[in-house]
Amino acid sequence: MHRLSVARQHGAYEMLQKALTMEPAQVVELVKASGLRGHGGAGFSASLKWSFVPKDKFPRYVIVNADESEPGTFKDRLILERDPHALLEGALICAWAVQAEAIYIYIRGEYFYPTKIVNQAIEEARANGLLGERILGSDFTCNAHTHPGAGMYICGEETGLIESLEGKKGQPRFKPPYYPAAIGLWQVPTIVNNVETLAAVPWVFRLGPEEFAALGTPKNGGTCLFSLSGCVNNPGVYELPMGFPLDGLIHNLGGGILENRKLKAVIPGGSSSPILTAKEARGIRLDFESVAAAGSMLGSAAVMVVDETISIPRLLLWVLRFYAHESCGQCTQCREGTGWMLRLCKQLLEGKGKSRDLDDLYEIADAVDGTTICAFGPAVAWPTKSYLKKFRHEFEALVRE
Amino acid sequence: MSRIEIDGKSVDVPPNINLIEAARAAGIEIPHYCYHPGLSVAGSCRMCQLEVEQNGRKALVIGCATTAAEGMKISTTAERVLKQRQMVLEFLLQNHPLDCPICDDAGECELQNYYMKYGLHDSRVELAEKYRKHKVIDLGPTVVLDSERCVLCSRCVRFLQEITGTGELGIFGQGMDSELLTIPSVRLDNPYSGCVVDLCPVGALTDKDFRFKRRVWYLKKVPSVCQACSRGCNIEIYYDIRHPYKGPGRRIQRLKPRYNHFVNEWWICDRGRYSYHAVDAPDRLTTVQTRSSNGDSAPNIKRVLQEAARAIKNAKEKHGTKSIAVLGSANSSNEDLYVLHRLFTQHLGVHHFDVSLKSEPSGEEDEILRKADLAPNRRGALEIGLRPAASGKFSGDNIIRAALAHEIYVLIVVRHDLSLVLRPEDFNRLGNLDHLLYLGEHESPMVGIAHGVIPIAAWAERDGSYTNFQGRVQRTTQAFPPLGQARPEWEVWRLLGAEVGLTIKAKTAEEVFAELTKNVAAFRGLTWESLIPSGRMLAGVPEPPYRKVRTARPLE
Ligand SMILES: Cc1cc2nc3c(=O)[nH]c(=O)nc-3n(C[C@H](O)[C@H](O)[C@H](O)COP(=O)(O)O)c2cc1C
Ligand code: SF4
Ligand code: SF4
Ligand code: SF4
Repeated sequence: MHRLSVARQHGAYEMLQKALTMEPAQVVELVKASGLRGHGGAGFSASLKWSFVPKDKFPRYVIVNADESEPGTFKDRLILERDPHALLEGALICAWAVQAEAIYIYIRGEYFYPTKIVNQAIEEARANGLLGERILGSDFTCNAHTHPGAGMYICGEETGLIESLEGKKGQPRFKPPYYPAAIGLWQVPTIVNNVETLAAVPWVFRLGPEEFAALGTPKNGGTCLFSLSGCVNNPGVYELPMGFPLDGLIHNLGGGILENRKLKAVIPGGSSSPILTAKEARGIRLDFESVAAAGSMLGSAAVMVVDETISIPRLLLWVLRFYAHESCGQCTQCREGTGWMLRLCKQLLEGKGKSRDLDDLYEIADAVDGTTICAFGPAVAWPTKSYLKKFRHEFEALVRE
Repeated sequence: MSRIEIDGKSVDVPPNINLIEAARAAGIEIPHYCYHPGLSVAGSCRMCQLEVEQNGRKALVIGCATTAAEGMKISTTAERVLKQRQMVLEFLLQNHPLDCPICDDAGECELQNYYMKYGLHDSRVELAEKYRKHKVIDLGPTVVLDSERCVLCSRCVRFLQEITGTGELGIFGQGMDSELLTIPSVRLDNPYSGCVVDLCPVGALTDKDFRFKRRVWYLKKVPSVCQACSRGCNIEIYYDIRHPYKGPGRRIQRLKPRYNHFVNEWWICDRGRYSYHAVDAPDRLTTVQTRSSNGDSAPNIKRVLQEAARAIKNAKEKHGTKSIAVLGSANSSNEDLYVLHRLFTQHLGVHHFDVSLKSEPSGEEDEILRKADLAPNRRGALEIGLRPAASGKFSGDNIIRAALAHEIYVLIVVRHDLSLVLRPEDFNRLGNLDHLLYLGEHESPMVGIAHGVIPIAAWAERDGSYTNFQGRVQRTTQAFPPLGQARPEWEVWRLLGAEVGLTIKAKTAEEVFAELTKNVAAFRGLTWESLIPSGRMLAGVPEPPYRKVRTARPLE
């Protein structure tokens, strides 16, 4: 499937051919009707983002966010390795819709093999008139390039990614005014979409927007790749309709909890999402609205299962270690706050915790939440606050000991 | 103009200004670290957070990156604003070494200042828990870095990228490991390096020339203008004359840039910054000297001027005014040059006068600030009329030639050291003139050959006005009295005038300037007061377009 000849047998690039016969604005309309939402984390409507491009600013670029670094998330890799032509086709349709002249695929630095596959796919596509000048005989010209990620989690944040792509340190830009669709790569309009989001675009055309939308829920079109991990028997990537029941994912497809232990909690959308207790998680559906209603977020759809043997304070230590290491260091609260929280959490686990530390931890998390340049602040604050709130007894037990 | 409300106060603000500037205009301070009006917006320190209500919605925003818009209601005192400020300070101080007593920035440190205004929390961090970084890092010839004190505001980094284009500094590492350093194997060495110290809100960057010399609360300051080239950057002189036992008589402790929209914005060059050392140099001339006084008790200025007056009268009678020449200086103030011109050309009818020599040293010039012409007032001299205008009048170089050719009998020289332009035997022959009167600030070979020597006040020791290359007239202010018998040049000319029958009523620089504006067309309409704070253009000279100081070759 990753070779062009095989992919074409399965209809690859037919939908690009179709899109190229349409007006760019029609393409955006069609994607709008499909209800396709971003799979990178925020669940933002793909068509709406595309429509934000200012009318008279050129050139424009499309960036494929293949940095995949949210802990728990490992689904983009599958697409990169197994179906790179679907990604290229989707990115090209997006490029046509926004009239971009180049596609940059920013791939997580450690993904050597996926990068090789994508490069190969680009070569094949170029050799066959699917990339480059006058694609498929139309007058649309667009190139694609891969770029290795710089090894920082924050290079997955779209503006950090853009800085990194420009050759600088991956430090996010503040919004407003730096919304990439208006002021992006080299200060020109740039659409940043996740791998999965773009790879779904050909399917919007193949199935038609209505049928695509009908796969999911009214506000969440299509399917979603869930990265299931943690204490389950069958971890892995599952493509399921949007709105699939969480219980079904864990207990049926996932084969239930390891060694038949009891479920304690679920982290439904990658390490940045608030934790759900087993009770809160029971019966929920996996779409953006339902997970939000339960008090968390679908994020990158990385479902991490936590069973009764896992200590939540230890889990917090693991989360904080990651975030303290990965903060880009620009914002005062994020740089200093993550380090401080990590220190307090470590002291707690070492038995040196003071009772005030729990309130301090919460207060620090609160000060980092929503007060920084990028969403990294909330990404560390939300898990911290939710672990503390929902499993306070586990933390208190550490203090008393 | 749009109308906004800040803490209940209605203000009209011009378009495209951010909330920090809007609040400043309304007299309200919004604390900030990374924002600087001369640099791009980083938005990273998060100290300037405000609550903004617009279209019925309240949000916490950063003032530096939010443009004031019609109808905005801004609160700088909302509970969450105060909480955020306090938290940002607590975060910044968390790993701060708290060695204020030995920090050179104490007293003008924004961490200290803001903590006293917005922090006042008790530390929740044990000393042993603090994160250690590097201290006393020698960045280059002018600047020392203490990493532990750095708040990572990136002002210095942006200055070196956006203004000088040299990019020596960067912030390396991520998270708590973020640390400001020079690019490996690069030294912070460029003609504007001292500006990063001005920009640094804390004691992380200190100036080798100033650090540990004086606590800042002992310093007094006066507004002035740099004398080291013809741009005339606006500066502040920081001085201390109450502790002469500290440092060998050094009165000026440092110069700092003073904002002037049209001249230098927030910056000055290192040449200018460190030029003040000349003012307190050990070779300053402090006593009046005359050749005839050898062995006598100390001569006074009256005697020296009487001798000069006698020589001038003699030469005029015997050889005519063509036998007298004046080589003034483009380093003198407008007032000095005006009285000089009045006395010699208008009153005495002296024929040959100039302020320039072809071989005067020139400096480096660039597109940021520095000008090749190192004299601060050549434009003023030209406007006042101190130039060899008509044919038959000698230029500076011809004056010297004529003096050696016995065509000139009396020569008056201000500041120029002619030993630098003449062969030694020729230079010594100048001593054979009927009379050579020398006015200077520093010891020089001129003193050895002159008949009369009068020490003059340095720029920081007197009030004055100077006309920069654009035609902007700007004022300097006296910081402290002149050394010894030194006095402003115009006073010397005024006294000499009295000896040759010219009465000049003006007794202060201000009064001289008033007279100058009446008599010299180019200065008409200017007043002494109007030169403060940012100077005025000469009559009929248009204000130059505002040029944002930017490097000629931006990094991107
Ligand atoms: C700290 C942080 C890390 C992120 N990492 C990734 C990532 O690795 N991959 C990704 O696709 N999006 C990531 N995002 C989300 C991107 O900023 C952006 O929203 C996304 O690429 C948009 O694509 P989409 O609309 O297709 O979801 C991250 C966001 C944040 C705040
Ligand atoms: S929130 Fe953290 S990661 Fe995001 S820009 Fe600020 S310091 Fe960097
Ligand atoms: S050294 Fe000073 S100016 Fe530079 S980043 Fe640190 S605090 Fe800011
Ligand atoms: S540019 Fe000229 S006037 Fe400005 S500081 Fe330097 S020497 Fe002084």
